[in-house]
Amino acid sequence: MTYRDNQLDAIGDKTRRAILARLRKGPLPVVEIARGFSMSRPAISKHLAVLKKAKLVTDTPDGNRRLYQLNPEGFESLRAFFDEYWGTALVAFRARIEQSADEDDDT
Amino acid sequence: MTTTAMTDSEIDRPVRQSITVRASVERAFRVFTAEFDSWWPRSHHIGTSPMTKSIIEGRVGGRCYSEQESGEDCPWGSVLAWDPPHRFVIAWQITPEWKYQPDLAKSSEVEVTFTSVGEKQTRVDLVHSHFSRHGEGGDKMREGVGAPGGWGTLLETYASVVNS
Repeated sequence: MTYRDNQLDAIGDKTRRAILARLRKGPLPVVEIARGFSMSRPAISKHLAVLKKAKLVTDTPDGNRRLYQLNPEGFESLRAFFDEYWGTALVAFRARIEQSADEDDDT
Repeated sequence: MTTTAMTDSEIDRPVRQSITVRASVERAFRVFTAEFDSWWPRSHHIGTSPMTKSIIEGRVGGRCYSEQESGEDCPWGSVLAWDPPHRFVIAWQITPEWKYQPDLAKSSEVEVTFTSVGEKQTRVDLVHSHFSRHGEGGDKMREGVGAPGGWGTLLETYASVVNS
């Protein structure tokens, strides 16, 4: 599984999207992130591990706990996915159309 | 990092791509749509079986789908607007989980326009918009466009984080 697949899978889950939205205001420890969710703290930690693997969040030690924060770099590459997706398609389109420009132009 | 509330238009800021090709508007439109299979990258496929052919049916309500080695068609969109040779709009019916989305209200839109910019020179502008629709949960209360947790919200919010 590629890095990009990881990212798309990571945001394909409602809980993980909610976690990311919560981290928008700044870094938080797991106990704060878990507040307001009906699931257990270990379950939230599992979701955080998925987000970390997808490089959408990073964690740093803070005393005896860890603080989770958004990783702007990861999100930039996520957005870049669609730029690349359509960019690749249009380049393929141009290659196709210009390869046979003289044969079948109808103007 | 900014925590300012974003407007709907900021959240749904589209992805835009343009390219200029050596072809008339008529030919550019025809190759893009009727001859879609001749250029569409085989990697751009959501199905479980390898793509053998990719089709856009040229009419409002037409299906966009791929034929697969398994014999089963893989749908991924439908034509919302059809104005040859200048413009068409497709519903991008793919969930953030990369599965087919039958519900148009939960699909984003891809608009492609063809503009003559000289003799046998056509600019193709592609705009992929309404990403936030993908983030709306089916069984849950309908989330507003600006609600946290939507796919589009994420894409746009974090683009703004990066740029701030």
